[in-house]
Parts: sequence; C-alpha cells; structure tokens
Amino acid sequence: MTALRRFRGLPILVAFAGAVLAVVLVLSRVSIRTDMTDFLPSGHTPEARVMLEQLRFGAGTSMIMLGIEGAPPATLARISRSMTTALDRSPLFLFVNNGDASLFGGSTERLLFRYRYLLSPAVTPQAFSVPALHADMVRLLRGLESSAAPLVSQFGLADPSGAFLALLKQWIGASQVRSVDGVWFAPHRDRALIILRTNAQGMDLENQQRAQMAIRTAFADNDPGSARLVAAGPAVFARQAADLMRADVTMLSLASTVLLSALLFWRFRSIWVLLLVAVPVLLGIAAAALAVQILFGFVHGVAIGFGVTMLGVSLDYPVLLVGHRKLAEPAAATLQRISEAFRLAVCSASLGLTGMLFAGIPGLAQLGCFSLVGLLVAAGVTRWILPHLIVAADLAPVSAGDPARFLRVEHLRVWRGWAAALGLAAIAGLALAGGPRWQTDLAALSPVPPDAMKLDASLRRELGAPDTVLMGLVQGQSVEDVLQREEKLLPTIDALTRRGVLVSAELAASYLPSAATQLARRAILPDPETLTARVAQARAGLPFRPDAFVPFIDAVTASRALPPLLPADIHASLFRARLDPLLFSRAGVYYGLIAPTALHDPAAFAAALHQNGVPFVDVTQEMNRIVADYTGTAWRWFAIGGAAAMVVIAAGLRSLRRVLAVAAAIVTALLVTVAILTAIGTRLSLIQVVSLQLVAGVGLDYALFFARRQLDQEERARTLRTLVTCNAMTMLSFGVLTLCRMPLLRQIGITVAIGAVLALVFAFLFAGVMPRDSTEEYG
Amino acid sequence: MLCLLWPPARAASASLPPIDVLMQALARVTARRAAFTETKSIAALSEPIRDNGTLIYRRPGYLAKITAPPHAEQLVVNGDQLTLAEGTEAPHVIALYSHPRLHALVDAVRGTLSGNLDLLRRWYNVTMTGSVAAWRLVLVPIDPGVASLIRFVAIEGGGTTLHWVRTVQANGDESTMTITPAQ
Repeated sequence: MTALRRFRGLPILVAFAGAVLAVVLVLSRVSIRTDMTDFLPSGHTPEARVMLEQLRFGAGTSMIMLGIEGAPPATLARISRSMTTALDRSPLFLFVNNGDASLFGGSTERLLFRYRYLLSPAVTPQAFSVPALHADMVRLLRGLESSAAPLVSQFGLADPSGAFLALLKQWIGASQVRSVDGVWFAPHRDRALIILRTNAQGMDLENQQRAQMAIRTAFADNDPGSARLVAAGPAVFARQAADLMRADVTMLSLASTVLLSALLFWRFRSIWVLLLVAVPVLLGIAAAALAVQILFGFVHGVAIGFGVTMLGVSLDYPVLLVGHRKLAEPAAATLQRISEAFRLAVCSASLGLTGMLFAGIPGLAQLGCFSLVGLLVAAGVTRWILPHLIVAADLAPVSAGDPARFLRVEHLRVWRGWAAALGLAAIAGLALAGGPRWQTDLAALSPVPPDAMKLDASLRRELGAPDTVLMGLVQGQSVEDVLQREEKLLPTIDALTRRGVLVSAELAASYLPSAATQLARRAILPDPETLTARVAQARAGLPFRPDAFVPFIDAVTASRALPPLLPADIHASLFRARLDPLLFSRAGVYYGLIAPTALHDPAAFAAALHQNGVPFVDVTQEMNRIVADYTGTAWRWFAIGGAAAMVVIAAGLRSLRRVLAVAAAIVTALLVTVAILTAIGTRLSLIQVVSLQLVAGVGLDYALFFARRQLDQEERARTLRTLVTCNAMTMLSFGVLTLCRMPLLRQIGITVAIGAVLALVFAFLFAGVMPRDSTEEYG
Repeated sequence: MLCLLWPPARAASASLPPIDVLMQALARVTARRAAFTETKSIAALSEPIRDNGTLIYRRPGYLAKITAPPHAEQLVVNGDQLTLAEGTEAPHVIALYSHPRLHALVDAVRGTLSGNLDLLRRWYNVTMTGSVAAWRLVLVPIDPGVASLIRFVAIEGGGTTLHWVRTVQANGDESTMTITPAQ
C-alpha cells in the first residue's frame, strides 16, 4: 500500500521538481536590481533628485567609519595605529585616517606647500609690502628665539608671511575630535575613531566585501583582546542588510517548512500534500518574475520580496481544493462544489491587485504585476493541473470528524452582533486617535536595523563629519563655474559661522580656490627684483643674514610660473578624499555641495543660501515627502482595487445580503487590524499596504468559502476545517516572520498574523451562514 | 664547565647591554631640577641666540623649560599636551600626538630622562657609545617626516646626570643645551 502510494505520488514529485526548477531557472536568468532608485519615484525638485542620487552613488558612499571600543584607551590607540598602518598599505583603500597627524608629511602637505601662494587666502597685495614683510620678520625672529625654533625655521624662512599656515588652518578646520596618543577619540567615551574610503564605490558589493574583510583582518591581527570593532557607512549597511536578510531568510525557510510540514502532515497524513501545496506558488513566482522581466526589463528585489509575501494567499488554493475533497472522489465533483467560490476569490483578488499596475510609480507597478501574474498562474495551476495529481495520489483530509461538534462551533455565530460592535469600536478608536498614524520616515522601509542607524549617527557626530541630510547645492557649467559661485558664498558662510548658525561648512572652494582666484593671487606676486628690494628694506635692523630669505624669493618666483591647480591635477589621496564628495558632475552639469557641520539654525542657513540663489535641500524631508506620496498612492489604489473586487463579488454572488456579509467580514477585519496596529504604536507604511492586501486576499477566501451554498453539515465541517488549516498555514508562515531581526520582515509578520486571525474570525461570524437559517434561505 | 664557575646572578647583569643598564638607572630618578644655557646657531641669523633658564622634570611625562629674559617663555609638556607661553601672550596649547615632529623632539629628551628606551626607539635609531659612567646617545629619526626636520639628536652624560643635548636640524641649524644640576 505504501509503495503504491509512493508510486502514485510520483506525478506530484515530478510537478514539484519541475516547479522548483522553473523558479531557479527564472530567478537565475532575470536581472534583479536592488537599488531603491529603481523602486522609489525621484525627488520633487531637480536639486533634490541630484542630491538623492549623489547620496546613493556619490563618492560619499565609499566612506567607512570605524570605532574601536571596549578596552583601555592606550590599547585602543595602539590598535587604531597598527590597523591604520596596515590598511594604508592595502590597495583597496583610497585613504585611511585616524588622527590629525596624517595631514603632515604626506603628499597633500607637499602639494599645499608648493601651491601655497596660489591657494592661500593670506595672499593679498598688502602681504608683500615692506611694512608687512618687516612685521612678518619680527614675528619670525621671535619664533626663532623661542623653543619652537626648529618648526619655525622649517617653513618660516620660505614663507615669512604665513601663507602655508593659513592654508593648514583651513584644513584642520572645525574638527574637535579628542586625541589620545595621536589617535582620534570620541569626545565623551573611550572609542578610537578611524575614517577611511575604499577605492571601490559603495555599491560595488564584491569589492566592498573584500575591503570590509581586510578591515576585520587588520583588527583581528592586532590582538584586540577585549576590544570591539564597530563600523558604519553606506557600504557597511548594504552588506549588513544582505547578511541579515540571508540569516533571516534561512531561519524563515527552515522554520516555516518544518511547521507547515507538521501541520499539513497532521491534517492530511501525507507528505505529498506538502509538495503539492508548493507547486502552484512556485510556478506562480516563476511566471510572475518572468512577466515582470519581460514587461519592465528587470525585476526589483523589493518587488520579489513583497510580491512573494502577497502570493502567500495562493498557498490557500491547493489546500482549499484538497481540503474539500472526499476520499476517492473524482476531481470534477470536488471542483464542482467549490468552483464558484474559488473563481470569485481569484477574480476579486486579482482585480484588487490590478490597481497597483496603474499607480504610476515604477515599484508599485512591478509589485502589482508580480502579484497579479503570480496569483493567476497559481490559481490556474490549482484549477487545471492539481486535480489530476490529487486524484492520482488520492489525497484527502483525514476524516472530517463528528459534524455535531462543528455544529456547536457554528453556534458561536450568535456573537456576531458583538463582533460588529468591535468593528464600530475600531472606527471610534481610530477616530479618537486622530486616524491611523502614517509612516513618513523612509528608514522604516530600509532593511538597515535601527541600531546600525544609531551607530552611524553617533560615529558621524563624533568624527565631526558633516551632516549629509541638510545641504546647499551649487550648480554650474563647469568645475570652475561651481568654484567661483562657491567663492561668492564664502563671506556669507563666514558671517553665519560667526553668528553661531553653524560651526563650519565643508565646501570645495575652501580647499581649492577657482582658477580665476588662483590667477588673481598669482598676479599679486611681485617679480624677483621688486621682492628682493622689498625684502632687503624690510630686513633692515634685524639680525637676519642677507641671504636668509632667498628660499622665500625663490618660492614666490616659482609660483609666478605655476599654472592654477585644477581638480584633475590633484592625485594626493587626502586632497582627493576631501574634494571628491564635495564636487561632482552629473549629466553634463557640475555640482558643489555645501555641507554644514553642527547646523543649529537650518532655517537661517537655508534663507542665506536662497538669497544667494543657491538651493538648500533637506534630504530627510525630501525622502519623507517621497515616501508619503508613495504610501498615499499605494493606499489609494488598494482602496480602488478593493472597490473593484467588491463589484465582481456582487456580480458573482447576486445576493445583497451575502455581498454585504462578505464585505463586512473583510472590512471589519482590516479595520480592527489597523486599529490594533495603531494601538501598539505601528505607523502605517507600504509594508502594511502589502500585508493588508494579503489579509484582504485570505479574508476574501475565507468569506467566500463560508458564504457558499453548502449542501450539508459534513461539507460545512469540511470548509471550516479547511479554512482553519489555511489560516494556521498563514499564521505559521507569517508568524515566523515576527522572529526575524529585520524590522521590515517583523512588521509584515505582525500585520499578517493579526490580520489573518481576524479575517478568519470575522469571515466565520459574518459570512458564514447560520445552520438554522440555511434551509430557509436556500431551501 | 664554565657555567658552574659563573654565578647566575652576575651572568644576568653582565649580559645586559650597557644601554639597558643606563636606562634602568635613569628610570630610577623621579624628579630633576637643573639650570641650562642654550646656544642656537641658525643659518638665517647673523649671530647665534643665547638663552638660559631652568629645566624641571617629573617622572615620567612632565617636563618644563623656563627661559629667562630677554627671550622669556615657559614651555611645559605634560603627557600629550604641550603649552608654550611667551611673555604676556595667551599660551599655545598643542596636542603633541597631532604633531609628530614636535612630538619626536620632546620625546628625545623625555625618553632619555625617564630611561624609556622603547619610547626612544619608537622615533629613533638609538646608539650608545662610552660607558654608563660617561655616555653618549645619538638618536637618528626613523620616520621620514621627522627626518625632514631633525637630522639627529646627541645627548651626553655621566651616570644619571645629563651634561648636554645637541639637536642638529635637517637644514643645518643646530642648538646645544648645556645642563647643570641645581644644588
């Protein structure tokens, strides 16, 4: 007998293998994109669009911030130093910086020194006058007489007017990082700080993987003892999110497979059911991904993730079919009993999803297409292929049990009045709470855990790295144009800094003046004869040897022949690291960022920029506006889809009472779910739209099956048991999600778990037909 | 056979290089106070600069150099912080670790006074000539950044007393500080 059943199961095994193969084949062929730009609409203003793109693709994405903590400061400093030395040698990194010392003695210092008379703001006509030079020399002499003599003589004789020192001051700037043993430390805790940039772009995951491995190795190699390494930055997040997702998905698939297998085995006493249930969903996923690939040219990772969630409803289809089968019954008989409800459920659910196709937002359209195709294919497979497999393997639920017991359960429907009251209470509660709270923060959709976000914010603050959310954006025809426009802003920014509006601002022009400015400074420089004469006059009465300032005269003379320093000529890594994130071009337009540090009064800063014709972008606000729009559109189309589904149901059921019962069941379930979510402090976002669509979908199945014209008590019992099985499947597979570490998956889990139970309860109470009434109504 | 004749304790002390013996002796001095005279020969200036004043040291990281007028100044190094006060001007406070060249210069003296050979070797190739009773240390910078400023530092002394410190810069300028322990 067993051997025979196993043989009978062979078609199922073949179908299952085929479905798995189809999914693997399709998913390995389609081009999957994970970039949110492909999923989200772009910003409202052109500036916002540029800024958002820059945040995603710009030089800033290759920045990694490291913190070393959990050991005595001396140990942390030692680790920081040796890690920096090791990483600095690696070709994977553009620069590695763990203290102010890295500015001194490197290629950037040499470049700055060489170009000091073109770059330094201290180059003015007065600076080369006899009185100014005399004052410089007196100061220089005092320096040489002091203990600082070695340092003073190193630069002072070649640069008595201090052009180089003025440059260095700009470079060291506002960073208020504490130093321990020459290593940057967070101001209020023992955490050594390192900032580095990879040569690879932030989204080049393969090279980022390598770079981050090198960082971990460098840390582990320096016998860290009790010390811990923490890391943040866009690339780190991307990898963490991928790792987390992998861990969660592994846990999920294991746990839900085990749980669902146990449930289905208990219910049907056959492992074939498990494989059978998977066939429509798998084929649905394969077809959906293929359709999206054909229509859109690529498949977005988010569409797959959310789409598969919404396809959870199609897990019910095969169960509804098998669950309603009597042992040894031909397929046609089972189908005949459930076909009306089944067809209606599929049609209305598909129609509900169709709305998203027309939402006009790229991601939503993909999501709608994915779910719609998946659902239809899964339903088609259930309707036309599965019956043969089921009959061949003779799958049916174990005995439906004593119908009388279910009769008692059905008497619970006397509580339906109270349940309706619960729905009204949910409305009242939501109204009192001022409606559900909407998610306006993109972070909620992000796969990055909140802890990682917090770490990023704290490292950024501790390093004095500029805010990346509030920025001015200067536009120009060329790099030169941008730099000139920025230079015009410098006095305004200085004034704002003095007023305490901000602590400082990072902008390219403060590191690299425009070529025009450099040429203007160059024009100031006196010719060798004039300068020699002035130096001789200025030296009068001071104990300097006649040739003491030859290095100075030589340097000024050499500078008169220097071409202006242009970004393209700069290869010194520290210089590049400062400049690249602040100066970039996109589609033939050149942009300069003005990134404030510790901006206390954004409104004043924005107003000052606007007066100078420079747009100010609040990235957070911009993102949130996008998300709000997105979510709003999704909800609207959810409602439109729902209304369309109701029309189909009304046409199909042709009974006002039954239509109202089905609608009431679903609407009440959704309302109470939203009320519960609001009560526990959840903000509604795209996650809830997707989850509630699933809830509506399963709720529709439940309500339509309960509302069927049921022939006898035995069939009613079968329906109840089957729907409880479907519900338990949804509960188990989505309940597992609540154990995930990714907030996104957890939220889906909570919403679906709450919603699915409520959907079953309300469908049972409202749509289910009271046994006593059934004879009257259908008799 | 020889091992039997050689007492182990003596073997240990005898095998210790003189530089370690010297450093251990220096490390035992907890505080010093000395008068100094300093002569700086700077190529750019037509005549050398002469100063005198007081040096104060406390183990392991405190060093003060108080220069008498006409070039009055107070240079105090404590741990990582260097404070330079000249006349009535507001003192400059500098984190030494952010300025490796200055740091190397300070540690040449501090490392010797505290007998911290590891500290000296972090910056310099250290060679000792003479004996513990009359020694001379020559410190040549390892780091190219430091070497661009300092060619070498030479220190002479006898036992735990320092006699003079001579600093020769990469550009040829040099300073010699002669030290006389205060009574």
